[in-house]
Amino acid sequence: MDASEVEFLAEKETVKIIPNFSLDKIYLIGGDLGPFNPGLPVDVPVWLALNLKQRQKCRIVPPAWMDVDKLEEMRDLERKEDTFTPVPSPYYMELTKLLLNFASDNIPKADEIRTLVKDIWDTRIAKLRLSADSFISQLEAHAKLDNLTLMEINTIRAFLLDSLNCLYKLRSNQHPGSSKGQFADF
Amino acid sequence: MRYGHSEGHTEVCFDDSGKFIVTCGNDGDVRIWEGLDDDDPKFITVGEKAYSLALKNNKLVTASSNNTVQIHTFPDGDPDGILTRFTTNATHVTFNSSGSRVAAGSSDFMVKVVEVSDSSQQKTLRGHEAPVLSVTFDPKDDFLASASCDGNVVVWNIKEQSQLISWPLLQKTNDVSNAKSLCRLAWQPGTAKFLAVPVESKVQLYERGSWDHVSTLSDDLLTQLVNVVAWSPCGQFLAAGSVGGSLNVWDVSSKLCVERQKHEKGFTVCGLAWHPSGSQIAYTDTEGCLGLLDGLRTSTSNSTNTASKQAVVTKPAKDYDALFDDDDDDRVMDEGVRSRAILDDENSLDTGSLKLGQEKCGDDDDTGSGVVPAAPLVPLRPAYEGPMPTPPQKAFQPGSTPAHLTHRFMMWNSVGIVRDYNDEQDNAIDVEFHDTAVHHAMHLTNTLGHTMADLSQEAVLLACPGTDELASKLQCLHFSSWDTNKEWMVDLPQGEDVRALCLGQGWAAVATSTLMIRVFSIGGVQREIFSLPGNVVCMVAHGEQLLIVYHRGFDGEQALGVQLLQFGPRKRQLIHGEPLPLSHRSYLSWLGFTAEDGVVRMLNRSVGNTWTPVCNTRETCKSKSDSYWVVGIHENPQQLRLPVPSHSAPTCCGHPALQAASVSDLHRERTDGGKHSQHIRHYKLVLLRDIETQYLPGEQYCRSLLFSNHFSFLSSSGYEIDEEAQSQSQKDQQELLMKMFALLFILHVFFQLSCKLEREFRCVELAELMTQKVVTLAIRYASRSRRMALAQRLSVNPFAKEAVSPVKTNLTPITKGGRANPFKVLGSGKPSSASGQPRVTNILDNMTTSRKSFPLSGPAGKQNKNTVLKPLAPRPKTKTQSTLLQMSGTKASNKKTQQNTQPAADRQKQPEAPPPASPADNTENKRPKTGFQFWLEENRKSITADNPDLEETDVIKEAMGRFRTLSAEDRLVRNTGRSEGRVPIRGEGHIRDGVLENL
Repeated sequence: MDASEVEFLAEKETVKIIPNFSLDKIYLIGGDLGPFNPGLPVDVPVWLALNLKQRQKCRIVPPAWMDVDKLEEMRDLERKEDTFTPVPSPYYMELTKLLLNFASDNIPKADEIRTLVKDIWDTRIAKLRLSADSFISQLEAHAKLDNLTLMEINTIRAFLLDSLNCLYKLRSNQHPGSSKGQFADF
Repeated sequence: MRYGHSEGHTEVCFDDSGKFIVTCGNDGDVRIWEGLDDDDPKFITVGEKAYSLALKNNKLVTASSNNTVQIHTFPDGDPDGILTRFTTNATHVTFNSSGSRVAAGSSDFMVKVVEVSDSSQQKTLRGHEAPVLSVTFDPKDDFLASASCDGNVVVWNIKEQSQLISWPLLQKTNDVSNAKSLCRLAWQPGTAKFLAVPVESKVQLYERGSWDHVSTLSDDLLTQLVNVVAWSPCGQFLAAGSVGGSLNVWDVSSKLCVERQKHEKGFTVCGLAWHPSGSQIAYTDTEGCLGLLDGLRTSTSNSTNTASKQAVVTKPAKDYDALFDDDDDDRVMDEGVRSRAILDDENSLDTGSLKLGQEKCGDDDDTGSGVVPAAPLVPLRPAYEGPMPTPPQKAFQPGSTPAHLTHRFMMWNSVGIVRDYNDEQDNAIDVEFHDTAVHHAMHLTNTLGHTMADLSQEAVLLACPGTDELASKLQCLHFSSWDTNKEWMVDLPQGEDVRALCLGQGWAAVATSTLMIRVFSIGGVQREIFSLPGNVVCMVAHGEQLLIVYHRGFDGEQALGVQLLQFGPRKRQLIHGEPLPLSHRSYLSWLGFTAEDGVVRMLNRSVGNTWTPVCNTRETCKSKSDSYWVVGIHENPQQLRLPVPSHSAPTCCGHPALQAASVSDLHRERTDGGKHSQHIRHYKLVLLRDIETQYLPGEQYCRSLLFSNHFSFLSSSGYEIDEEAQSQSQKDQQELLMKMFALLFILHVFFQLSCKLEREFRCVELAELMTQKVVTLAIRYASRSRRMALAQRLSVNPFAKEAVSPVKTNLTPITKGGRANPFKVLGSGKPSSASGQPRVTNILDNMTTSRKSFPLSGPAGKQNKNTVLKPLAPRPKTKTQSTLLQMSGTKASNKKTQQNTQPAADRQKQPEAPPPASPADNTENKRPKTGFQFWLEENRKSITADNPDLEETDVIKEAMGRFRTLSAEDRLVRNTGRSEGRVPIRGEGHIRDGVLENL
């Protein structure tokens, strides 16, 4: 799975916007949207929000978790805990990236938020690598990883699977004879 | 009570004008407060610590920690030199009464008297054996009194620099910081008769000259050491602040304690100052807090030598008056006041007090208030502690934030946001629209200092309060106008301030400080003026409705009244004048109409209740918290100062009926008419002087408008009489018509003026107020003065005045003037002057022929009708300008036909029915359906095709119904077409019928 595909999925999340135009309810396959009244907040999918934003038809209201204080708290918790802590949104990284790239003028303290989310991301990825490392070094057969987001899984997937495969290969080679020919076949 | 300085010794004084409160404190700053609410006071740093300050003649003298006494200019705060130095810090500085000298007492046991103009002229008073606590000048400048830690209070002769007398009154200490009391002395201003010395928990008064201890001011509830004393500017009252935080005010002549207050937190009061007017006392405490004691009696009563009884009775009354800032209502001196007065003099244990109470009891009997002086037996209570009245709230704009903020919302409503930025660099107003399709955002420089705003789909209305030099101004940016001149401004008369304003559809209303509501058209014509029963609280408008909330008087709580007015095109009816339900100790904070249906609801934030005052159902919805700021009831409450709304709206339901029976409406209008006519008398005084137009026509216009109001009422009542006595009504109406002409003439004059001033939009507005006859004149005038665009607009306008036309049409004989003219359709068909009419027709003909698709010009229009015509289906509306006339005509006539269809149908069924409802219908009945016959011939087939099973009479009935749903022009075209063209059956009378029928 590509990162862009994950981002595509993230765009289905809803976000509040304040439109500056007026439009009746629109009926889409995915559900009804609107009605849009100028000045009144309305929930729309991120893809629409970004589209409207780029056409300067709305202001985006950042999600509640996209707040410096809350993110700081989360980052501290994330650093303190050894395991993964629950994240505010299953697409926090994607949403942050999308909203900050296209609507940073509607988000107070955009830079700080960017840094904080990056911090959280880095911490979590570091944890993930660490656990992968211990997983491999301790020759575990399975591990339990809660609260991982799709993007994080996706990031580690390629590397982890490949390396496990390689390891498997190497380990199989340790046993003389039997499996050698098989691997050649692979 | 508010935080002012860091903890430690503080002092306070007022500046000479009383505008500023000036404090100093341990942090070395002198702060200049514009009032207790001033969140951003100016400050002057005078040193590391400021021990004392004095302010007079814009010179600020401070004693600071670097052992100097400095001067700063006030209010700029520039250093103006050092007055004197001591070997250690000064403890107290004070000015003499003229401000020419400064006395300073110091911890180095010395007192110095320095000329402000020449600091080299110093007099040093030596004799104290401990740090000096305080100093005070004799107002006559001969003496100086000082108190010291050595326990002595000394009076000095300044000239001879000698001790005159010394009283060992105080406890001895070794330093100011260890002294139990600051012992701030005070000399009575003016007469300079008494020197007040705080001794323990009492204040001793020493007489000047004899230096005898003449009296002691005390209070049973004052048990702690008195720290500071201060005389009122009039010299009649003495205020004292104690270590325990109590504040007392005595009337010196009667030695009665007239006011007691306790510091909220009980901190030591260490600074005390009277406002120059004597109505306020500012105080500071050792924790750095600044407080204000408000609502004191004014200093003006000069009753020192009159009977104390009188003084006591009048004072609390004034006290109450001060509470109602501008309500000069003497009736407020109610029972509560009286009982308070009695309680007050009971509290003093002076020998005269009992007698005094009895005397007043007699007084009470006279006035019949019947307060029984049972109180002498009751244990003493310091002050009136019963329920205090909720002070009446000031006028406000719904959807705005407080005016003292530098960045604030002047208006946030469903249309958009008006922001005000008011800081050093910038004074500007930003207008932003929720819907960018309405208008682009605007940025205005706020040179006039506007404080109020309203915003609608059509315009921005701004207003500023008046100042001494400048009158209160009203500015309107009418951005939806097609006129190039989109802005207008009016000055209110001197002394009249805008208190509240709002924008309706096509009009603006302003409530002023003189209890007046002025209604302007959106183009700037004053349409209405009437007075309100009380001070306005706020106003909102929606469509043609105006809702006003005002103070109705006083009954412990706020008593607010609501009025809902309708400025319809036909009638202006007063729908409501009811009390607004408001809960205990609460303030109205928002008022508005819902967007959808014009239903009125109110939301009161302080208790979180929503009221629906228009009907009896009363919704109570809790809003989430007080921090939400209501913007509109149809939207979510928006969070204060945050443009991000996040909470669900208080759900309100119920649609109270606003209709009133037409008879009672008339009745109300009649009473209204009375009010109006009362106003006419003042009219010359209160009328607005429009900057651009001259005084005379404006006034005449307004006055004539009032007349016309009256006449529309007259005409409607005449209309009803008609049913019974037609001849009488005819006479009435004839008279009315005569007056109407006068009015129209004035309108025309006004019109010409506006025209000259290139106010085209206003011209069209005026034209809407005119009748057919005058509009033709106006068009002629416009075209003659080469304003073709204006003439065109006028001709396209739906100018027929509905309120006027039905009366006149049946009165005046109709002459057919040449050709079928669009105006004929809508107009009243009054006799036109022989010279005027043809020329107008020419102009119009030129115009209409130049536009290809003008629907009503000649046979083309008729053909058009025939093809489009679908009898029962409403004609699709097009938006091109050329069809505007047609559209408006259709609308008007549709309305008419809807009204008429029912009774007409009834009449068809019962031809022998009693006298018809109106003369118009009457004529219709006498000469029935000539135009209709033709139409029936044409359309019979289609009707029978639609309803094949109909009887002949039913067919006619059906046809009748369909014909009546046709537009007026349609029918006219039908009639005229027939008569002029192929089949001239009955000639002129015919056409007249057609016209009449359509109107």
